[in-house]
Amino acid sequence: MEDVAKELLSRLVRRIPLVRLRHVLGRWERLSKTQLLSLDFTQPKWALCENLLSLCEENEIAVKDLTEIEMLYRSEYPDQGVWHVFQLVDTSEESLSSDFMHFRDQFKANLKDLINHVSIKMKKLEDESVWIRIAWGGNFSRPNHLKPTYVVHHLQTPYVFVSSLANKHKPLLFQALALSAHCGSVKDVNLSGRCLTALRDLSMRQYKQVFPSRHQKRLEERDLLPNPSIENEHIKLAEYKQQVASEVFGDGVLPKLETAVYKLETKYREHGSENLARRDEPFRGVVKFSSSNLLESLKYCVSSGMASTPVTPLLSSITHKGRNYFVIKDKQHGSVPNTSASKF
Amino acid sequence: MSLLRPFSKLPELNMANVLLVGNDDTFQHVLADAIVKQENNVNVNVRLARTLPLPAENEDSRPRIDLVVLIVNLRSELSLSSTETSLKHLDTGFFLGKVCFLVTGARCTSVPHERLASLRKIAVSLHCPLLFTEDQTAKGISAAAGRVLNILRVSAGLVPLATGLGLSTLIRCSLPPDLDCQD
Repeated sequence: MEDVAKELLSRLVRRIPLVRLRHVLGRWERLSKTQLLSLDFTQPKWALCENLLSLCEENEIAVKDLTEIEMLYRSEYPDQGVWHVFQLVDTSEESLSSDFMHFRDQFKANLKDLINHVSIKMKKLEDESVWIRIAWGGNFSRPNHLKPTYVVHHLQTPYVFVSSLANKHKPLLFQALALSAHCGSVKDVNLSGRCLTALRDLSMRQYKQVFPSRHQKRLEERDLLPNPSIENEHIKLAEYKQQVASEVFGDGVLPKLETAVYKLETKYREHGSENLARRDEPFRGVVKFSSSNLLESLKYCVSSGMASTPVTPLLSSITHKGRNYFVIKDKQHGSVPNTSASKF
Repeated sequence: MSLLRPFSKLPELNMANVLLVGNDDTFQHVLADAIVKQENNVNVNVRLARTLPLPAENEDSRPRIDLVVLIVNLRSELSLSSTETSLKHLDTGFFLGKVCFLVTGARCTSVPHERLASLRKIAVSLHCPLLFTEDQTAKGISAAAGRVLNILRVSAGLVPLATGLGLSTLIRCSLPPDLDCQD
């Protein structure tokens, strides 16, 4: 076996937890049943790795097959690493093809035209998502399988999810995507996070939304037999806040986002400190919110009264616009919106 | 601006009414549940409020308040400042043994010391008891409910020969000498 294959295998074994590794190897279908049963998953990882190596040598397994383990692992457990969302723009209805084979051939041909040394693996899952694994190489070097880029695309939708993409490979990937999906260009949506399903739900608006209405609904929580000897003095206010919170952030389980970043490039406004206010250049600052489930926390802030109501558009546009990176600029003379996008 | 008055209504037989004032909704609800469940002999009525003053439209349905518990979560500055504004809407009659502070999160190491110190000064100047409690564990909450109930029984006049003012002089917060010197 080649050295690359050995290193890739040992890295995979090291990185994947044992329970998941067993499951993934079961799905892999390159090892026979007896070979699988002969593996002892209670061993330490280095010993397990040795055993696996000998089995792979026995079956004459190449790098290509090993990358499949990684791909299976990433697609079964997609919440690894940070995913960035991009949008295919200037697409017409009929141009978004639903034919996987056609898309695959086009994409492979387009990317190989742009760069010689690249290894591409594509797979379509049951949920209609197309997973692409790209190992990049340089002009004179072979593809580096240790740092692959993962791309997830749902055919017939304009969104692409990309993980661990280096800046120098960005134009190549985008051009290949644009050509094979027949769209004009690829745009950064400024949305990123760890949970792939949450990003998909947020960008395609698939979570449970509440639309603003004049009629206040009776909230379900209030109907859970209230204790007669406990009474809330501010019940109307509490209900109003709940209503506002669910209008902005949706009802039920919210998509899991980890961070929201606001970059300020505004004039400093405060009376008293003349030195700062008189400066011509903008006052720069970054505000970053992070939490294990950011939207849930923000919703709690609103419903518990920590954030003022009505909710500021800065917070509500996370769900309304589906993005979590904002650059806030001063309003120019004219009609430039005060929240505008910028590059990552 | 309407002041909340302690003696503007008639008391009812075997009733004790406590008003919990605080920002932290979840803790308030859990504590209210615990208080109602712990007391079996008399009818305890718990009223929850975020801040004072209380809305005027509930004036008629509101019974006489026997004890006002101001819940301060030391982890948030907002909780302390809203407590300070709430205090202005209490009639002076309440401070004769019908107000107590309930402090949560005092064990949290990231809390600045000044918050507790300033709260302590308020409690001293108003001659009120200052109770500390743990809000994360069920045990802490039931202990807090028990302590609130003990004071409530006295201030509602359900304990013979004891008055709220008498109890308050015994358990009110006093300033330690080192804090006293700083003024």
